[in-house]
Amino acid sequence: MLLRCVLKELMALKEVEKNLLLVELNGLLQTDDKIALKEITRQLHLENVVGDKVFGSFAENLAFLLEALKRGDKSSSRPVVFVLDEFDLFAHHKNQTLLYNLLDVSQSAQTPVAVLGLTCRLDVLELLEKRVKSRFSHRQIHLFSSLTFPQYVDVVRGQLSLTQDFPQPTFSSQWNKSISKLCEDKSVLDILKRNFNTSKDFRSLQSLLFLVVSRLSISHSTLEEADFLEASRLTFADSKANVLHGLSILELCLVIAMKHLNDTYDGEPFNFQMIHNEFKKFIQRKSHSIHKFEKPVVMKAFEHLVQLELVRPLDSGGVCKVQREYQLMRMMLDHTQVMEALQRYPQCPTDVKQWALSAFA
Amino acid sequence: PRLANPSIPSRLTPAKKPGNVLEEARTRTVWWGGGRLHVSSIPESLPCREQEFQDIYNFVESKVIDGTGGCMYISGVPGTGKTATVHEVIRSLQQSAEHEEIPHFNFIEINGMKMTDPHQAYVQILQKLTEQKATPDHAAALLEKRFSAPAPKKETTVLLVDELDLLWTRKQNVMYNLFDWPTRRNARLVVLTIANTMDLPERIMINRVASRLGLTRMSFQPYTFKQLQQIIASRLNRVKAFEEDALQLVAALSGDARRCLDICRRATEICELSGIQQKGSGLVGMSHVMEALDEMFSSCYIAAIRCASVQEQLFLRAVLAEFRRLGLEEATFQQVFVQHQGLCRVEGLQPVSVSEGLAVCQKLGSCRLLLLEGSRLDLFLRVRLNVSQDDVLYALKVD
Repeated sequence: MLLRCVLKELMALKEVEKNLLLVELNGLLQTDDKIALKEITRQLHLENVVGDKVFGSFAENLAFLLEALKRGDKSSSRPVVFVLDEFDLFAHHKNQTLLYNLLDVSQSAQTPVAVLGLTCRLDVLELLEKRVKSRFSHRQIHLFSSLTFPQYVDVVRGQLSLTQDFPQPTFSSQWNKSISKLCEDKSVLDILKRNFNTSKDFRSLQSLLFLVVSRLSISHSTLEEADFLEASRLTFADSKANVLHGLSILELCLVIAMKHLNDTYDGEPFNFQMIHNEFKKFIQRKSHSIHKFEKPVVMKAFEHLVQLELVRPLDSGGVCKVQREYQLMRMMLDHTQVMEALQRYPQCPTDVKQWALSAFA
Repeated sequence: PRLANPSIPSRLTPAKKPGNVLEEARTRTVWWGGGRLHVSSIPESLPCREQEFQDIYNFVESKVIDGTGGCMYISGVPGTGKTATVHEVIRSLQQSAEHEEIPHFNFIEINGMKMTDPHQAYVQILQKLTEQKATPDHAAALLEKRFSAPAPKKETTVLLVDELDLLWTRKQNVMYNLFDWPTRRNARLVVLTIANTMDLPERIMINRVASRLGLTRMSFQPYTFKQLQQIIASRLNRVKAFEEDALQLVAALSGDARRCLDICRRATEICELSGIQQKGSGLVGMSHVMEALDEMFSSCYIAAIRCASVQEQLFLRAVLAEFRRLGLEEATFQQVFVQHQGLCRVEGLQPVSVSEGLAVCQKLGSCRLLLLEGSRLDLFLRVRLNVSQDDVLYALKVD
């Protein structure tokens, strides 16, 4: 964003616009040096480019590009700006050839180039090889958001308000008034505060506001705090708890059995047979005939849980030579999640609930 | 497009000439190493490398005059002027060849980093010798023939191999050939090799390659404080832009000349900026250098932790608490999460859900404050700190 603004402002200068060559690369697209080189030569329109195709092998391309860069000098050739997005991925290329060469050119009296790397990793310099690092100019700009909460609310207001040049001034002033009123509302502030506490970046704010704004319609033309509540409910919902709500009673019973196993054996892995035993004990002790299922049915329910990845085998990946009943498993749920889901489960039988709570008693 | 001359399109308007003292100082501190020497910015002679210069000069000169061949291995950490010195040697040798003091010779340069594959070395050498293009195998055969066949009036070739360690292959045949050719009777080839580590021949070369490399070695020591001071002074010669003590501070920092010149350049920029705001002495002073140093070398982790959101800071605190409880430097997400929820309650915040906690954890992981395993493991992914515990404590405590 910052870079875009800078480049836009630079390009607005006439002298710069005529003289600057911009090459943009992205570590996610240019996954190795070969592709990156092709992209560079294509964007620079060197002579081995015909149409949009780049000719020559990888080695030829590199020699070609270096030759081109070497021929230039400070006073006669146009400066080139390289923008490397996802810079850390470029450091994973073989030998870091591309980085070495770009930085080498930037440090020597060849074509004037500027290399701008963008990355989210703080330790990116440690990825660089020694000789590459020596050529890097060690100039870093860190963008941390050091906003305070009042500033954050101002940003929200700014994001939601309509600009001056909106065609209908009456509506826009009305709208802006309602927005600033909302920004002083207690419950809205609570939601914003929570979002602010979780993450200070603007993307998460924007995704929250997007949910808010998308609830607008012709019949509902001003934002209310209910919209914020609904949006925050959507963003803060726990994904696993939602999955638990959609389970059948039998599956829920299995989850509870697993939770008990976790409690008694302190997080040790378990297998299907153990869960089944636990479940049988429960039926014998308490339940009526409603919960008496055949073993294959229970097995099916268990497999369903495995497919939802609420339960995962201990040795993931490998070919399982063990029978399904005896394969060691782990539950991927926290206790709080289970208990919360149980509280909210629609029409949960009382005996199941009691069974779940019994461990704490 | 084989015959085309690749070049960057030339600029439409000419570059500006440096307007004042500071700008001139900045352009003069540009590092000159790498490929071709740029005439306008090389100093008259390389300061502080006179001894090494003399050694290499004598070596190459004697070989050129005798018409024999030989190898030399040059090592040293990055930024100590290896490549620049060799270039300097070659330049002055070429000058004396022009004055017909010594026989003419060819100079070829290859760089291991500028090749896609070690075998491309053959192609590049052949191309620079004869302007032929060939596949690596064919080129190797042609070079073999050229260096072993006797030919009268053959000129001596000086071959500079930069970043030698990258020419390593499993059978080491590229290195073997490079060192074997000079030993041929008719080759008249002088090979100068440059790499970073001193013990490279012992470490990665098999015996027959190392023995052909021979014992002519030279190592470049990192620059001392005095030498760096001299280098910067010579680079700035006559331009008065730096205060004396500022220069000394710069020189005291590291043995890497590139780093030093970078600091100088940055300090000059800072000075220029502040010069716009207030009319100072116009010289780069101590404060400017200090600012540049801070910018370049200060650790960004502490600042990053301070600017993190509340939950992220809580999560880090939970990690520390869990480490202390376990006595280990590693914990699973589940364990940390329990601590995290406890801390939330203590701080009077709404407890976070697992999804939220995981999102916070991933965010810290993506900027590498934490080291994480793949997120598929979910509750069982292991969490480690990438910074020292003291740093985290310090960063969290101040506010």
